[in-house]
Amino acid sequence: MSTTDLSIFAAEKDLTAYPGDERDTLVLSMGPQHPSTHGVLRVMLRLDGETVISAQPEIGFLHTGIEKQAENLFWQQAVTVVDRADYLAPLSNSLCYVLAAERLLGIDNIPPRAQVLRVMFTELTRIASHLVQLGTHAIDLGAQSIFMYAFEMRERILEIMEFVTGARMHQSWFRIGGVALDVPKGFLAKMDDFIERFPERLTDMRAILEKNVIIMDRLIGVGVISAQEAIDWGLTGPILRGSGVPYDVRKAFPYSGYETYDFDICTHPAGDCYSRFIVRLDEMHQAWRIIKQAREKFPDGPVTIDDRKIIPPPKTEIQHSMEALIHHFKLVSSGFNVPEGHIYQPVESPRGELGMYVTSAGGNKPWRVRWRPPSFYNLQALRRLAPGNLVADIVAIIGSLDPVFGEVDR
Amino acid sequence: MPEAQPGREVTAALLTQLAQSLGPLFLEAVSAADMDEAAILPDGLLAAVDAVRAAGFNQLLDIGGTDHHPLTPRFEISYHFLAFPPEYLEPGRINSTATPLAPARFRLRVFPDDRDPVVPSLCGRWPNADWPEREAWDLFGVRFDGHPDLRRILMPDDWEGHPLRKDYPLRGLNRRFNPGGLPGPVPPVVTK
Amino acid sequence: MEMMSPQQPFITTKLDEFIHWAQSSAIWPMTMGLACCAIEMMSIVSPRYDTSRFGAEVFRASPRQSDLMIVSGRVANKMAPILRMLYDQMPDPKWVISMGACASSGGVFDNYAILPGVDSILPVDIYVPGCPPSPDALIYALMQLRRQIEAGGKANVLARA
Repeated sequence: MSTTDLSIFAAEKDLTAYPGDERDTLVLSMGPQHPSTHGVLRVMLRLDGETVISAQPEIGFLHTGIEKQAENLFWQQAVTVVDRADYLAPLSNSLCYVLAAERLLGIDNIPPRAQVLRVMFTELTRIASHLVQLGTHAIDLGAQSIFMYAFEMRERILEIMEFVTGARMHQSWFRIGGVALDVPKGFLAKMDDFIERFPERLTDMRAILEKNVIIMDRLIGVGVISAQEAIDWGLTGPILRGSGVPYDVRKAFPYSGYETYDFDICTHPAGDCYSRFIVRLDEMHQAWRIIKQAREKFPDGPVTIDDRKIIPPPKTEIQHSMEALIHHFKLVSSGFNVPEGHIYQPVESPRGELGMYVTSAGGNKPWRVRWRPPSFYNLQALRRLAPGNLVADIVAIIGSLDPVFGEVDR
Repeated sequence: MPEAQPGREVTAALLTQLAQSLGPLFLEAVSAADMDEAAILPDGLLAAVDAVRAAGFNQLLDIGGTDHHPLTPRFEISYHFLAFPPEYLEPGRINSTATPLAPARFRLRVFPDDRDPVVPSLCGRWPNADWPEREAWDLFGVRFDGHPDLRRILMPDDWEGHPLRKDYPLRGLNRRFNPGGLPGPVPPVVTK
Repeated sequence: MEMMSPQQPFITTKLDEFIHWAQSSAIWPMTMGLACCAIEMMSIVSPRYDTSRFGAEVFRASPRQSDLMIVSGRVANKMAPILRMLYDQMPDPKWVISMGACASSGGVFDNYAILPGVDSILPVDIYVPGCPPSPDALIYALMQLRRQIEAGGKANVLARA
């Protein structure tokens, strides 16, 4: 049994002295408004010259009360608010919540077309999120043109999202029981076009970045964490896989039919920022493979379950049938009740294991939606990763941890 | 004690062990749909966590709070654990294309006192227990005994009240910054 | 200084026009990216919705060097005093675009944590609806702001709070 040395906490509180160090140290607030902190984060750095002695992140500048807001919305309405936590990968949050609610309801017959659409769009979201991380990380390191490449590819993905769901971000397209609407005509042509163009663009970006001397100089050996420590600090996702541990929720606890797709878990043994960088590049390729397989599968059929108590009937039927009208009215005015219970549903978001511990009290609103935000735990590890590095490396480390503050603060 | 389901032998054995060692502090063992869980009282938390760790659960995934007001016991602190078998740490041992052995999952639910909720802190055992315990203090008012730096993390430092409690109104007790900069009352909450 | 006729001062009008043209052609936004809207704000610099053709490509991190604050995202109670401090640090003339539903009115959220609109603490010039607004909408807002500046909308800068 290992114990943590609690003196690291004490040293941070005392801003005037650091045990064993007689020299002056400078306390610098890398404040909430900063171009490179990827959002509203304050890092209180204690510096000895240019070297960081300790870095204490302060969060809470984007606390939105999403969990409390979700407690006041119906089960199907909460999907809209849940999207806004991890705003770079909104459909991951939706998927996690919707799967949790479906398990509480005992629904296990989601139609195959809906499963394939969910997987396809979650992987598109994963690529879009990794592209933003790549672009902003590169721009922090000085490679401004990669930002342009990455965002151009992201625009193609957002075009597809807008074509199908109506919104570029915060689609709120998943529903408890399937997806909201079927895809319009022309969707498959767009997907084929994307599937064809993406690998070449990814290869371009890899060619510029992977063996780039500056990237390698700035990222190799920075922010190293071993596999055992990564497990101790509760890290998951690309950071854990970048330390060599092959844990991917899609493989370990498959959901939405992921066991039927053929893809690899991307790992890299080194445990530094460079390995996380490579892991994310590899993951984009794996996500593309999954999308390609999903496109080949693409079955026909309905996109929602047939239960009128959960999914409203189609509009055309409401005009003819009294029963359909009553179902629709009941769903819109007072939602549906979910049986009492609690469940923890994990999902692999681009940042790690996103989990939701949903408690239902038998009513038509969730009693408690507890997020297990991957970025919250990943960011905590900054206190372990930062000491000993230079100030410029802090920027690289924060970029490689990929925090999203909507999720950290909720 | 519930029957051991396939894949849950480790946690079933753990539940039996906890029930025996904690005695009156052990409330309930449930084999829920997603994982096995144990409900205990706060005094037994440290012993339970040591037993959990010894059973191979090496990652603390999450510490979360729930308020079950008006039921008693009101507060629930839930701990989720993940057990990575040693094969995960050996490079190359698990083929990345195959489906690896799934880590086991376990949940501990602790029910502190209603009036003065205190739970022992896990900061000495896992380094990542720090922030979620501060969050549970901030949003629910549950104190963690032994935490080195228990202060608010998500709300401003001078905030009054614990927002995620069920008796705290959604719109808050007062609004700090009002539309147009004019002072005004908080709009009433319309309850159905 | 009146040259042509007492009713239409010529030189000062032309000077005003020139100043307004200069101000509107090179608006430098400050990086005030808070939440989801920040991603759409970053997208306006991307090649598809290029704002450098409008002179607004240079996002300065320091408030002392910028003249436009695009509040993009939900403003939490902890962030509000910081936002005000940054606004006060910006030199005149300065403008504020409140981007998105959350910054304009609180948006989807109606709870203890979020400000009901950033105009509780700052004077706003343009409100952009959307959750998040498409980059096209933000560029339209920028165009509106330019028209406002050219029309002399912010005529008496010193009188604003």
